[in-house]
Amino acid sequence: MAGGKKALTKEEELLLQDFSRNVSTKSSALFYGNAFIVSAIPIWLFWRIHQMDPYQSAILFVVVTLVSTWLVAFAYKNVKFVLKHKVAQKREEAVTREIMKKLVDDKKMSKKEKDERILWKKNEVADYEATTFSIFYNNVLFLMLVIIASFYVLSSFQPGINYIISVGTAGGLLALFSTGSQ
Amino acid sequence: MMAVKWILFAVLSSVCFNISLQDEICSSPSVTSNIYTTTDGVILSDIAFIAELVVTCQNGVKDLALYADVDGVTIPAMKSLDNNKYQVSWTEVPKKVQDGVRILRMYDEEGYSALRKVQRSGEDTSSIRPLFTVTINHQGTYQGPWVQSELIAVLLAMFLWYLAYSTKSRIQS
Amino acid sequence: MFFRYLCAVVLLVAACGVSSGEDETVARLLVHKRILNRFLVEGKDLVVDYNIYNVGGSAALDVHIVDNGFPEDDFEVVIGMLKIKLDRVGPGNNVTHTVVVRPRSYGFYNFTAAEVTYLPSEVAQDVQIGYTSEPGEGGIAAIREFDRKFSPHVMDWIAFAVMTLPSLGIPLLLWYGSKSKYEAIIKQSKKH
Repeated sequence: MAGGKKALTKEEELLLQDFSRNVSTKSSALFYGNAFIVSAIPIWLFWRIHQMDPYQSAILFVVVTLVSTWLVAFAYKNVKFVLKHKVAQKREEAVTREIMKKLVDDKKMSKKEKDERILWKKNEVADYEATTFSIFYNNVLFLMLVIIASFYVLSSFQPGINYIISVGTAGGLLALFSTGSQ
Repeated sequence: MMAVKWILFAVLSSVCFNISLQDEICSSPSVTSNIYTTTDGVILSDIAFIAELVVTCQNGVKDLALYADVDGVTIPAMKSLDNNKYQVSWTEVPKKVQDGVRILRMYDEEGYSALRKVQRSGEDTSSIRPLFTVTINHQGTYQGPWVQSELIAVLLAMFLWYLAYSTKSRIQS
Repeated sequence: MFFRYLCAVVLLVAACGVSSGEDETVARLLVHKRILNRFLVEGKDLVVDYNIYNVGGSAALDVHIVDNGFPEDDFEVVIGMLKIKLDRVGPGNNVTHTVVVRPRSYGFYNFTAAEVTYLPSEVAQDVQIGYTSEPGEGGIAAIREFDRKFSPHVMDWIAFAVMTLPSLGIPLLLWYGSKSKYEAIIKQSKKH
């Protein structure tokens, strides 16, 4: 392109979005919110079953939850990125049909514009499905790791140490596995 | 002469009367019992069976020597220091404890000697009537939860993760 | 001189014989006080067992056992008498007595011996005083510690499962909704 200062076309914008790992603020909020909730849930187990006093351990709970939130959100992002392409590939045909069906009577729209619409919709659906599944998958994995760690591997440790290592390791492993997926 | 005979008679009969009191046979005993069996087989190494009895005899006899016969085993009853209560107790190993009702056949001194005689000669012991009976019901021994709840939790968690993982693999195929 | 010496020896031997306790005509009670618990837990049953053995040659009479080792402030008596008497324990026999108490608080507790008194023979005038064995010091666990280790926590796990439902259920349902919608479109188109 001559000039270089030309604004990116919608298509190029979408492509850029596709390939970057950056997420929108809305997505970020969703990720951090869900990560926080799932990181906080194990507190219940440590309070009721490992008999940790919530008032005494409040600071510990807060710090570990925040660290875990960051790690889990990191895992969400990575897994979503990996899944998005595959989902986009799978949904290509269906999305195309859906949009074409909707715009079949619209003679005024150019093919290019219809294609843009399809691309945009495909991106949106892939984003949506990848995001939701990433959250679901990582939540299941996180909770399973916490249970295994705190009730089997570290069961004889003091509850405080048990908590830090169980939740910390679960978050860490989640982050680790998320970078490894193809 | 007559007076001497009467005096002798009076003395002898009072002696006899005293002797018969000292026979200490309890007539028509009314019994209130307080029964307890320990049910926790986790904390305890043996299960205790205890019966505390308050026995009131119609003829006011106290301080009896009582013996309990439980399934052929004889257990002498302990007495409280103030003569009001009796206690029969024994212990059993948790693994071998049978749930259900045990019947304590309570015998006084006389009944007990008769019982031993019958036992020695091998006859049926039910021919000797006990002074009264007490029933103890053992409801069961708690040996711990039959399955660990965290085992169920971890199995469920692993199962769910496995489903999620296979779905993820399908998406990525 | 020799006779005096002999007499002294005979007397000494006789004295030893009398005081040796192997005497055939005197009762001797050994009472073994045990606590039949694997774990001592605050507020839960504690079983005290007294095993009375008569290792002497004649019956012990008017046996009294008084246990002041479970004061009302520290223990609640569930059932059983801490002060008992028994008319007779025959030679070579053994008798047991059991009491169930519950500790009112946790911590270390020294379980002391109970006092035993009896008449060692039918002609004895003096009451023989002895003591049961001492169970010694035991640690009574707090109910919290015990619960942590042993209770199945079923309700807590159920609550946990309920708490995880939104975190797992909502993303799954949202994903599944979209997935089935688009897979249905494919299916429909394949039919035509």
